[in-house]
Amino acid sequence: MTQPNPPFMTGVPELLLLRILEQQEMYGYQLVRSVKQVTAEAISLGEGVIYPALHGLERNGSLKSRRKAVGGRTRVYYSLTRKGKKRLAKLQDDWRRIQNGISTALEVPAHA
Amino acid sequence: MPRPDFVELRTELLQSGISPGHVFRAITELDEHFEDLVFAEIEDGSERATAERNAVVALGDLAEVSRAMQQQPELKSWAWNYPRLARIVYPLACIVALPAVPVIAGVQNASLLARWAVCALVGGFVTALMFLVLQLSISPL
Repeated sequence: MTQPNPPFMTGVPELLLLRILEQQEMYGYQLVRSVKQVTAEAISLGEGVIYPALHGLERNGSLKSRRKAVGGRTRVYYSLTRKGKKRLAKLQDDWRRIQNGISTALEVPAHA
Repeated sequence: MPRPDFVELRTELLQSGISPGHVFRAITELDEHFEDLVFAEIEDGSERATAERNAVVALGDLAEVSRAMQQQPELKSWAWNYPRLARIVYPLACIVALPAVPVIAGVQNASLLARWAVCALVGGFVTALMFLVLQLSISPL
């Protein structure tokens, strides 16, 4: 069973969704599977909660959606926009900076 | 465990001012997602009832979905964001626009309207002529 995500995870789902959608367009179910796969299930997204996140990203212009009929069913596919690519680059930079900072802090011996 | 109550979620989201477009699309996506989860479980060898039970758990609490949507002001409908505009300006604009629509449509399709008008006039004239002939044939001279 996966553990709940800690509170400092704010912004991580957005980063993951943009990163995955940078490679190819996907619909919600595929995205959830993909997030689980690329994070080795270390990050658990509530499967239903992905849709508010996707709608929010689409509303702010980071994503665009289109309906596509596949196998007799109509899916809503999401893909990255130019604005989304810029947003992803910024989030990646922020994340790497934080990651470096935390790594440095963890390597320094703790002072009494 | 029954299917997730998407009707209740839809009502809650609409009442909280989420744009109807986002609400209906989110409900459709959630429903499709649920079906995908059930299908995947059945493919893995589960019974339908077990698959649906597990799918409900995997989909998560719909109250969380509702909260997540309500926390995003950009998903609110314009009528929710601008209530005065929705209650005053919008009805007034409709009152002005409604009579204008047939006029605009008439101007754009003037030739079609003219043909219809000529047909109606000719039809009326022929009918009146027939009535006149009938009337004359039964009237004492």
